[in-house]
Amino acid sequence: MTEFVLAVTLGLLFGLGTFLVLRRDVVRVVWGVAIISQAANVYLVTVGVGTTGGAGAPILGHGHAGEAAVADPLVQALVLTAIVIGFGTTAFALVLTFRLYEEHGTIDLDGIAGSEGDGAAGTGTAGDGAADAGGSR
Amino acid sequence: MTEQVVVAPLLSALVAAVLALLLRSYPRLQRGVSVLGGLAYGAGVLFLAARVAADADRRLVYQVSDWTAPFGISLIADPLSVLMLGLTAVVSLAALVYSLYFLDREDARLSYHPLYHFMILGVTGSFLTGDVFNLFVWFEVMLMSSYVLVVFYSGAEQTRAALLYSLLNLVGSAVMLLAIGGLYATTGTLNMADMARRLAEPAAYGIDPAPVLGISAVLLSVFALKAGIVPFQFWVPAAYEAAPEPVTAVLAGVVKKVGIYAIVRLYFMVFAAASVPVSLPGIGGDSFLSFFGPVLFVTAAASILLGGVGALGQDRMAGLLAYSSIGQIGFVVLPLAVAATAPEFRVLGVTAALVYAINHGLAKALLFLVGGAVRAGTGTDRFADLGGLAGREPVLAGSFFVGGLALVGIPPLTGFFGKFLVFDIAGRAGSTAGLAVALVGAVFTIAYVTRAWNRGFWGEAGPSVAASTRRPALVAVVAALAGLIVLLGVGFDPLYAAAENAAEAALDAEGYVSAVDPTTAAEATADAASGTNGGGHS
Repeated sequence: MTEFVLAVTLGLLFGLGTFLVLRRDVVRVVWGVAIISQAANVYLVTVGVGTTGGAGAPILGHGHAGEAAVADPLVQALVLTAIVIGFGTTAFALVLTFRLYEEHGTIDLDGIAGSEGDGAAGTGTAGDGAADAGGSR
Repeated sequence: MTEQVVVAPLLSALVAAVLALLLRSYPRLQRGVSVLGGLAYGAGVLFLAARVAADADRRLVYQVSDWTAPFGISLIADPLSVLMLGLTAVVSLAALVYSLYFLDREDARLSYHPLYHFMILGVTGSFLTGDVFNLFVWFEVMLMSSYVLVVFYSGAEQTRAALLYSLLNLVGSAVMLLAIGGLYATTGTLNMADMARRLAEPAAYGIDPAPVLGISAVLLSVFALKAGIVPFQFWVPAAYEAAPEPVTAVLAGVVKKVGIYAIVRLYFMVFAAASVPVSLPGIGGDSFLSFFGPVLFVTAAASILLGGVGALGQDRMAGLLAYSSIGQIGFVVLPLAVAATAPEFRVLGVTAALVYAINHGLAKALLFLVGGAVRAGTGTDRFADLGGLAGREPVLAGSFFVGGLALVGIPPLTGFFGKFLVFDIAGRAGSTAGLAVALVGAVFTIAYVTRAWNRGFWGEAGPSVAASTRRPALVAVVAALAGLIVLLGVGFDPLYAAAENAAEAALDAEGYVSAVDPTTAAEATADAASGTNGGGHS
C-alpha cells in the first residue's frame, strides 16, 4: 500500500513539474525545475524504504525486527546532499530570472526569444560585446 | 593502502578558489594567487602523473576519511584520469593567464577567479572520483560555477543564454539523480568498482540486468547533455557565445570532455561487464555495449552533420566555433560507437576517441582564445567586419591557422592523428556508414575552417581591422598554445602511448576493481581459485 501511494505521489509530482517546465512564464519554469528535483529526492527516499514499507530508524539497539525492518540510511544522506545543492541552484535560478526581467523587461520566454532575433539583426548585441571587450585591460 | 597524492590537484584548486575569494579586496594579490593556483595545479597533476606511471599497478587509490572501498568514497587516479587532468591543467592555465589580460580587472575582481578555480575543482573531482553519487556532486560543483561564468557579462543576451543553460542543466541534474537512485536500487551499490564487480555476475548478487540497462540509458542522456551531443546540443551555441572567451575555451576544451570521460568510464568499464538476456531488433550480441553502440553511432553521426552544417551558416567567429565543437564532439563519439559494437577493436577505438578529445580540447581552446583576441583588438568578431587580419596580426593569424589545421587534420599536427585513428578504426571494423559520416564531417570541417580563414584573415582590411589595437599578452598566450599543438603533433608518440595506456586502463575492469577494493577482490579470487583452480590475478 505504501509503495502504491508513494508511486502515485511521485507520478503526480513529476507530472506537475513537467507541466510547469513547459510554461512560457520563466518563474513557473523555475518552480517546475524545483519540483522535479524535489520529486527526484522523494524518489531517492522511497528507494530506501524497501518492499516492507514499515521501516524504522537505523539506530543501533533501536530496531528489534532485524535489519530488514530498518530504512536504508545511505539514500537519506544522498538526499540531504541533493537538497543542499537544489537549494543553491533554485536560488540562483530565481536571481537569474530577476536579472532577466531587468534586462528584457519581461519574463515571457517567447518575448525573450523574440528579442534575440532583433539583437542578431541589429547592432545592439554586437556593440554590447565590443564595449565589453574594448573596455577590458 | 592510501595514497594522499591523489588529492593534490583537488587541494590546489580548492585552496586557490578559497584564497581568491578571501583576497577579493586585494586585486593584485588575488590575481597573483590565482595564477600561482593554476601553476600549483599543473605541478600537482605532473607529480600525480609521475607517481601513477611509477606505480606497478598504474592506479593510485585514496579512500576518503579511510573508509574502505564499497562504503566510503574512493578517489582513483589511473592513466585515463591523469590524461584528462593533463588536458585540464594545460587548457585551464592558458585560459587563466589569458583572462588576466582579457577581462576588465574591475569586472573580474569579485567573482571571476574563485569561480574559475571552483569550476576546475569540479572538473578534477569528476575525473578522479570512483563513486557514482560523488560524480553527481562534482558535476554540480562544476556546473554551478559555469552558470555564473556564462552570465559574467550579464547583458541581455547573456542572461537569456545563462537562464536556458542553467535550467536545462538543472533538469539534467534531476534526471541524473533519478538514474543514480535507480542504479543504487537495482545494484545495491554506488561505488563504481563494486558496481562493475556486481554487474559482472548479476545472479550472485540478485541483480536483474534489464532495469540496469534502462537506467544506464537514462544516465547516458545526462552525459550526452554535458558533452553537447545531438539531440542535447541546443544549449551549446548560445552559452558559448555568451561566456567570456577564456571561459568558453575551458567549457569547450575541458568541461565538455567530462561527459565523454564519464561515458568511457561508466559504459566501457562499469556497465560493459553486464549482459542483458533480451534481444532488441537490429542489435547483435547481448552486452550492454552492443545496445549503446548503435545509439552512440546515431548521435555521433547527427552531431557531425548538424555541427558541420550549423558552422557553415554562422556570421560570427564565436558561433562558428561553437557549432564546430558540436561536430568535433561527434568525431570523439564516433570511434567509441564503433568500439562498442566491435569488441576486438575496443582499445583502439577508445584510444582514437581520447586522442581526438585531447586534440579538440587544445585546438578549440586555442581557436576560442584567438577569437577573443580578435574581438578585443577590433571590437567585433563578425566576419562581415573582419578581413585582412593576416597582414596586420601575423602571429595571431598564424595561431588561428595552426588551430584550424589541427581541426581539419593536417599532418604533422595532433588533429591528423586524431582523424587518422577515427578513419582507421571505422575502416578496420568494416563500418561503411562510419567511414561515410567521418568523410562528410571532414569535408564540412575543411569548408568552415576555410571560410573562417578567408573571411576573417585574408582579403582587404576592413575599417575595424585597420583601427585595431594590438594585444601582445593575449597573442603570446595564443602563440604558446599553438606551439604546444605543433610540438605534440611532431612528437606524437608520448601522447599516443598515454592515450593507449588510458584506454587499456579504462577497459580493464578487473584491475580497477582489485585496485579499489583489494580485500574483497582477493576473497573473490580465492573463492574462484578454490572452486575452479584458476582465474587469479596479481
